[in-house]
This record gives sequence, structure tokens and C-alpha cells, in this order.
Amino acid sequence: MPTVRDGLLAAAACLGFGLLVSPAAAAEIRVSAAASLTEALQEASAAWIAQGGEPVAFNFGASSLLARQIEEGAPADLFFSADEVKMDGLGAKELIDRKTRKSLLSNSLVVVVAKERGAPVAAPEDLLKPEVRAIALAETRSVPAGIYAREYLTRKGLWDRLSGRVVPTENVRAALAAVEAGNADAAIVYRTDALISKKVAVACEVPVSDGPKISYPAAVLTAAKNPAGARGFLAFLESPVGTTIFRRYGFLLPK
Amino acid sequence: MTGFFSSETAWTIWFTLRVAALATILMAPPALAVAWLLSRKTWAGKSVVETLVALPLVMPPVATGLILLKLFGRRGLFGPALERIGMDVVFTWKAVVLAMMVMSFPLLVRGARIAFDDVNPRLEQMARSLGAGEARVLFTMTIPLAIRGIVGGLLLAFARALGEFGATVLVAGNIPWKTSTMSLAIYNFVQIGRDERAWPLLAVSVAICFLAVWFGETVLNRRRPLV
Amino acid sequence: MLRIAFLEVPLAEFPLRAHLNLETRVTAIVGPSGAGKTSLLETIAGFRTPRLGRIELDGETLLDVAAGRNLPARLRRIGYVPQDDTLFPHLTVRRNLTYASAAGRGSPSADFDRVVGVLELEPVLERGSPRLSGGERRRVALGRALLARPRLLLCDEPLAGLHPELKARILSYLKRVREEFPIPMLYVAHDTAEVAMLADEVVALERGAVVGRGAAETFTWKESSFDGRTSPMEKTEPPFPTRSKG
Repeated sequence: MPTVRDGLLAAAACLGFGLLVSPAAAAEIRVSAAASLTEALQEASAAWIAQGGEPVAFNFGASSLLARQIEEGAPADLFFSADEVKMDGLGAKELIDRKTRKSLLSNSLVVVVAKERGAPVAAPEDLLKPEVRAIALAETRSVPAGIYAREYLTRKGLWDRLSGRVVPTENVRAALAAVEAGNADAAIVYRTDALISKKVAVACEVPVSDGPKISYPAAVLTAAKNPAGARGFLAFLESPVGTTIFRRYGFLLPK
Repeated sequence: MTGFFSSETAWTIWFTLRVAALATILMAPPALAVAWLLSRKTWAGKSVVETLVALPLVMPPVATGLILLKLFGRRGLFGPALERIGMDVVFTWKAVVLAMMVMSFPLLVRGARIAFDDVNPRLEQMARSLGAGEARVLFTMTIPLAIRGIVGGLLLAFARALGEFGATVLVAGNIPWKTSTMSLAIYNFVQIGRDERAWPLLAVSVAICFLAVWFGETVLNRRRPLV
Repeated sequence: MLRIAFLEVPLAEFPLRAHLNLETRVTAIVGPSGAGKTSLLETIAGFRTPRLGRIELDGETLLDVAAGRNLPARLRRIGYVPQDDTLFPHLTVRRNLTYASAAGRGSPSADFDRVVGVLELEPVLERGSPRLSGGERRRVALGRALLARPRLLLCDEPLAGLHPELKARILSYLKRVREEFPIPMLYVAHDTAEVAMLADEVVALERGAVVGRGAAETFTWKESSFDGRTSPMEKTEPPFPTRSKG
């Protein structure tokens, strides 16, 4: 006669089995990519699938966090970072296939404020105004967007006086959200992020010549389970179809 | 109502329930064994074991997560061995189950131990005098008599697993359709300013935990309240 | 035949000491409360470990402290009916009774019917133990021990806590058990009637020491003494050094 014990064992077996043969078993390309690439890459992968490509599973986040995850053994096929330093780090640990490494995109920085009753900022020096009490930046020592922002502010001679007002966030999208929610008066994010948001206005743009050199490299990982798929997707992103999508979102392409 | 749950939200809820249930079921036998040992036996170093078991309850969850990362990550203690057998643990659903198991373990041990302590040892003695071996005593006397406390502990452990965040975020990340639990998803949505996507998850989390704890406390543990 | 040699069990206030052989069918143990009667039964059953001594039953050594031998309770095949019944509260009467046979150490179903018949447990077989009366509980405890096919039955004050009318009824059940089942019994007795109706021999215990033993018919409860005649089985005096304390 079946007992409670039998029932529990059966349930465990079903759960375990169900999880083991979950979708991960199907062929797919796993991409870890910087948060600022979210919408552009999602549209690109839709186009990729439409022309017969394998499904792409994304893991978006701060490039620093993603690099760390890869170092610790997170399964992924392609890494698309928002700065070269993170890619160099993985390269030094022999975790990327150097032959596949390419710098695909560039970006520019902007200062954003809330669209409605935003702080009166028209130039970077305006960040010193008393109305700007909190400036949201992605973590300035690790996350590429924060590093770029700090580099810019330092070059402008403003960092020392502003650092006390900085609210560090986990990634660039969180900095954007802080201004959207009114928890910060201003943020420095990528121009592409500002274009996505409906609730912020660009207070001032950082000219490319004036700003830090921003570069988005991508590479296939040595531990990739689907390196062929990753190479294929990477080639697609470089193709005219891919670059058109990126341009539409405001990314800059290297000359 | 159908617009309330996107397919990703539905997946996240179902995934969280599955891994929490699996974690609870997997850690139940060792937890019950430890609870029984703590209840029935003494040995040199027993207090060390008691402390170790209680640690995940008291330590900051992220600290526990970091320890798990250092054990199961590629560069960790078990990393090379896992790589040899081709098993990915960190940043997969397995790490989610692992984190939940570790964090819930002390809750079940505690609840089960109290239940075992409450079992009248004379009943076990009587069973022995009627010819029952220790295994039979365990399964026909001790566990059935302690079952209310055990099930209450299981429900509490399940609820804790459902809500697990600190250890999970470090050792499993928040990867959509792969390791995203309700707690991680809520955090992420709030982070990126998409609160409205967090509401359905919040509602479901609270509802499930409320039911689990309410049932465990009122129906099963009438005599011994949680707070 | 139950041989108890140089047994010493530390109790709260004094040690229990016993050295005697019991061969009669039914032996009653009497004495004031706290004398150590229950402890003696528990030690024989294997629930308590003495500091010294040896216990043999039908030639098999159950316990020998010096030799390091201590047969666990589940292998001693000694039935135990405690003072508070200790029925399994989560099992029906039937499951309580058949617990031993389900453990693979019991009796075939013919015995079941017989025990149920003798103790008149038919009407309560499917009831849960919390819903039984005091007398019913006592009978179930007795039946459960019997169905384990013990070679010795220990009963701790089977008539305690029952009102007189019920006492008489249970006593008659005990008498029936004595007649129907040829198992030696060692039980802690409560009053004269028990002794008279059931026992062949009486052992008197006081403050942990055996202060007398003899045939049941020679035993007077009031003076707690024997009329001088000792049982022919009494062979040796307990050779314990400290007897002076008394």
C-alpha cells in the first residue's frame, strides 16, 4: 500500500527529472551582456531567430558582475562587455577565445534629470548647484558606466567636489531608474539609456571628443558549450542587419 | 487577470516553487537525521554541531552565499572536480537549490528536534520490548508521533526557501528563465525602476508564504507558537 | 527460571539489591512505595542498566555486567505491562495488539483471536487508544504484551488506579490469563486479593532490599511477614557485605 514516504519520493523524482530536462537541454546561445545593451540585443536576437538562428538566452547586468560570474564558472557562450578592462581580465585568465574578440560598438555619456520638474542642469558644472542633492552613478570603481562617468568628472575637475553627492547603483539602468523615480536629482548614463527612457530628459550631452573613450568588446568564451552558435550570432551582430539595429538605438560604430 | 502574469512572471513563480520544493525534499532526510541525533544522543563536540547547524540562520545570507561560491565555483574547492565530471553548479538552478537547502536546513532541524524531544521515550521503550529494532522504532513510533512538528518544520523551511535572496543572488545570479526566483526578480525590477512588474511576484510570494506559515502554525503546531 | 545474581541498581536514595532465583509460575512482589519494585521490573526487562550483577532467564544470560554482556530489550522476549499502560496513542487497539507480530516477532492469527477472546477486546478493536476506559486500556496493554509471545511476563501493579468493581473484573481477567497462557509472571501486587488469587510465591521488597520471601498462602499482608515457613527454593542468603544499615 503506498505510503506518504512513497509519495514524497515520487514527487522528488518528478521535480528532479522535470528540472533536469528543462529547456536548458535544448540548443541555445547563452549571452552575458552589459545592461545598456538590453533592448538593442533583444531586438537583434529576434531578427537573428527570424532568419533561422538558434534561440538566445540573455543574462543582462553590470559588466563587472557578469565577468565575475564567468570567472566563477557561470555557463555562457558569449560575453559582451561595456569596457575593455573587463574583457582583458577574462583574457588574462584564459577564459575567452582571443581570436573571436572584437570591439563592436561605442557610446557616449549624457547627464539626465527628471523630465518633469527636473533639476536645472544645462552644463556639467551645474551639477554643483544646491538643487542637485543626489547624483546616481553606476558603481564608479567597477561598473563601466560608473568608471566612464568618474573619468569624465575628474577630467572636468568636478569629481572631488561632487563625490559626496554620488549615490552608487548596481548597474547603469539602476542609476537611470533612480532619476525616473525621483530618488536622485541627476545621473550620468549612456546616451542610449536616455533614449530608452520616457521619464528622463537629457540635461547635457558629453561630446565624444570631450568624453572618455567608450568601447564595447565582445568575445566567445573558451568554456562555451555552443561556440559555433556564439560565433554565428557575433557575426550577425557585426553584419549590416545587426549594426543597423544598434545605430537605431543610438550606439556609435567604430570607424 | 491573464494580463497580470506575463509568461516570464509565470515561469519565475513556477520555477521558484519547484526549486523550493526540491530543496526542501532533498534536505529533509539529512535534517531529520541530524535532528534525531541532537535529540537522542550526546557526544563530545555535540555543541559544535549544534552551532554549525544554527549558523546559516544567524549569519548574513550573503556571507553564506560567498562561502558556497568559494566551494562550488570554478576556482573553488570543488570546482576542478565538478569540471571533470562536466557538472555546472554555480549560476545554474542547481546553485539555487543548494542555497535554499543550506538556508532552510537549520529551520527544519530545529522544528524536528523539538518534535522529537516531545516524544515520550517510554513509548519507544515499549516498542523495543515488543521486538522492534531501532529502524522500526524510528519509522513506526518516533516519526509518526513527531509528525506534526516535522511537517510544521517542513512548511517553514519551504517558506524560507521561497524567500531566499542573499545567498542565491551571489551564487546563482538572477538569470531570466534560468535562475530567476521571485525574490531575485522583485529586487531586479525595483532596481531598474520597473516596479509594476514586481507587483504580481510580490503578491504571489506573500500569499504563498502566508498560507504555508499559517497552516504550519495553526493547524499543526497548536501548542507551540512561532512567536 | 529467572536467576538474579548480585544485582545492584543505583536509585535516587538507595541502591536496589537483589539476589534470588524465581521458579514458580506466578511471583508477586510487594512492598511500600518507593521500595524499588518498578525499578526491579525495568531492570529485568532491559530498560535500566544495573551497576553490578547477572540476570539469566531459562539458561540464557540476559545481562552480565562483569562480562560486558547486555542483551537489548528487544531481544529479551520479556513482556512488560507498565503501570501507566503506555499504549501507542497513534495506533488503534488492533494495531497496538499486533505491533509485535508486525515486527516479525509475534504470533500467528490464531493466537490473536484467542487473546482477544480471553480479554474480551472484540468491541474495541478498531478504536483509538485515547477513547478507551481505564479497564480497557489495562486489558489492551496486557494483550499486547501477550501477543509478543514472551517467555516471561512482567506486570507493574496491574490493578492500580482502578475502582474496586473494576479491580475485581481485571483481576478475573488476570486469572484467566494465568490459566490460559502458560507464561511465568512476575508482577507487582497491590493487595491481598491479588496475592491470594494469582500468586504462588511472594517476594517482599523494602528500601531496595529483599526482606523476605515465601509461599503465597503463608503471607500476611498486614504484618508484611511470613509465618515462618520458607520456600524450599530459597537456597542462599544474599551475600551483600552491607546489611547492617537495614
